[in-house]
Amino acid sequence: MSWAQAILLARGLSRGWGGICGTVLTGAPFSQVPPQALRSLHCSTATHRPDSSLVPCPPKPPRRPVKALARHEELFRQAPDAAQDKASFVRAVQNFTQHNVHKRGHVDFIYLALRKMREYGVERDLAVYNLLLDIFPKEVFRPRSIIQKIFIHYPRQQECGIAVLEQMENHGVMPNKETEFLLIQIFGRKSYPMLKLVRMKLWFTRFKNINPFPVPRDLPQDPIDLARLALRHMEPNLSARVTIYQMPLPKDATDAADPTEPHIVGIQSPDQQAALARHDPARPIFVEGPFSLWLRDKCVYYHILRADLLPPEEREVEEIPEEWNLYYPMQLDLAYERSGWDDYQFDISEVEEGPVFAICMTGAHDQATLAKWIQGLQETNPALAQIPVVFRLAGSSGELLASSAGLEEPLPPPPPPEGQEEEENSQQRQQQGQS
Amino acid sequence: MALVHKLLNITCILRKCPRPSVTSCPVLDTRFAAYCSSSLQKPVAASGKASSQRKPEGNLQGHHQKEDALDITSPEDKPEVNFDKAIKEEINDHFRYLKDEIVNYWLGPEGRPLHEVLLEQAKVVWQFRGKEDLDKWTVTSDKTIGGRSEVFLKMGKNNQSALLYGTLSSEAPQDGESGRSGYCAMISKIPRGPFERKKSYDWSQFNTLYLRVRGDGRPWMVNIREDTDIIQRKSQMYSYFMFTRGGPYWQEVKIPFSKFFFSNQGRIRDAQYQLLLDKISSIGFTLADKVDGPFFLEIDFIGVFTDPTHTEEFAYENSPELNPRLFK
Repeated sequence: MSWAQAILLARGLSRGWGGICGTVLTGAPFSQVPPQALRSLHCSTATHRPDSSLVPCPPKPPRRPVKALARHEELFRQAPDAAQDKASFVRAVQNFTQHNVHKRGHVDFIYLALRKMREYGVERDLAVYNLLLDIFPKEVFRPRSIIQKIFIHYPRQQECGIAVLEQMENHGVMPNKETEFLLIQIFGRKSYPMLKLVRMKLWFTRFKNINPFPVPRDLPQDPIDLARLALRHMEPNLSARVTIYQMPLPKDATDAADPTEPHIVGIQSPDQQAALARHDPARPIFVEGPFSLWLRDKCVYYHILRADLLPPEEREVEEIPEEWNLYYPMQLDLAYERSGWDDYQFDISEVEEGPVFAICMTGAHDQATLAKWIQGLQETNPALAQIPVVFRLAGSSGELLASSAGLEEPLPPPPPPEGQEEEENSQQRQQQGQS
Repeated sequence: MALVHKLLNITCILRKCPRPSVTSCPVLDTRFAAYCSSSLQKPVAASGKASSQRKPEGNLQGHHQKEDALDITSPEDKPEVNFDKAIKEEINDHFRYLKDEIVNYWLGPEGRPLHEVLLEQAKVVWQFRGKEDLDKWTVTSDKTIGGRSEVFLKMGKNNQSALLYGTLSSEAPQDGESGRSGYCAMISKIPRGPFERKKSYDWSQFNTLYLRVRGDGRPWMVNIREDTDIIQRKSQMYSYFMFTRGGPYWQEVKIPFSKFFFSNQGRIRDAQYQLLLDKISSIGFTLADKVDGPFFLEIDFIGVFTDPTHTEEFAYENSPELNPRLFK
């Protein structure tokens, strides 16, 4: 490295030291040359001196790329310890209206507020949307002449109004009379936001109750209540009983939920109990899982207890008991057919699978917890003590492994189930049952 | 492209018409691609050799279809690739198919006797009992616009059902124009006749769609498209929602055709009219419920039947506020 490069490097390095070391380094060979003439590659001619009257160097840019702040974003920046909730959001919006009488940049502010709603947790609050619509100046954007009515009057503002309504639509918020009145005041009755409001009112009311299995919007936080809701959701038989086999330890006993005591909640209907009692002890039954169930936006996992399908030769023929009551039919077979010419059956054999005996939801998906569930089931199903139980636990990605109809186990479907365990523990449980 | 040019030459010789322009080539191209990978009911004698020779051609133009099971041709098969022979076999197959169709026309609609078709009250349209049943469906996701959702279709265990599974991701692609993303869809292929003629389903005597599915609790949307000969119809479809229950039990979903609402370009339109069932071309299932995570849907079969208790013709009235012209 030549001396010039060395000097420049030293100059550059010494900037941060206030130039003190620089003068020392450059002192001896260049005493005649004034230090101002030598400049570093990156900085201005002025040397960095604390008492310099010249404009100081611009500060070094920070290492990470700084995102350019949107307009009015400083209104949403608050003290780090303040909670991000509805009150602070409303305060930020009111700050804008108070400090800005002429409401300059209200379109940008509304777009920014729409983006920030999710952080503050107010995206499903109708009052907040009405407050946002209130930011628009009233009576200004209404078209007054025919020519204004032909063209889209104030298109940016109408687009902004539509964006507010579209976010309401995405989150399923139904607009009310106040929204309608605000839109009429701001844009007029024939504007696009008003048209969108009419459409929203029409289609929301049409599709409000089309879900035959409705799930409440506010899911319970307690895992046992959630498990109970989910099990009732899955089981179509209304006479099924939900049993809690194990409660988790209360939170104040330990710091975190104890991993050895997760909750176990199960469901079983009387028909399933009867079927399990009739089950042949020579054939094993399987605990399969975990399978996923989605409740709105929450995914829970469940296990099932099922048996394989009996091969055709072992299936017992159902006997129709003779009619013992001549006044009313004891078994009613309600079908659509009017008489012999009607045939509403599909020309296909349905997928046959083994019967399901019980479903459960637990906090942990390992074999020990499920063994405790089986133990708990034994109290209401004493026949379970003689039947061997095989645990078929797939990985957490849980596709539904339909049991084979009495055939050998086919090749595992991709992705292959991780950690497939099998264990025969009939003797073990019998010992546990006795002790 | 040699395939297309050869066929163009042949059709010109047959019809003695001037050679069509290059712009019509892409249309034929897609048709050939669709044919090469779809499964037609072919006579068994032609299937063995033609399939191994058809697959290399499918490879050349197979980028249109995604879920084909292309056999990897072993090195000793490659020298046998012979375009002329394959084309001749294809054309022979098509003519044979045309002959079957003409013969079937005299037997009755679709080759079944007329009294059987008229009195039919429940019909299975799509079933999933083998690999060839999966070839009648395509799966798409928002990867086409740059999103991150994945979707796959395979046979369920024991070859008794089809499993549609994957992961939904509503992360919007950073392409400057999409604000939202996250959808997966499974669409049936349009039924084709001889020489790739588009056929359609006629369900005019049925009034309910019947699906036997097992889902995971997510809401799906069922879309029905009508015949797409008219260019505007390509973006129009009729849709309704299918709510799955979740759980280990099979669920029967019955959706009457009167409940389907009309939408164009992905938006519900103000002017609603009922779904006319005489020219249905395809059905599809879409998942776009803005919740990220894995999903699955197992389908046993899809059928149509006449529900004698359902007398409604159309479920949605037109409102005079949105459509004043309809009420003049």
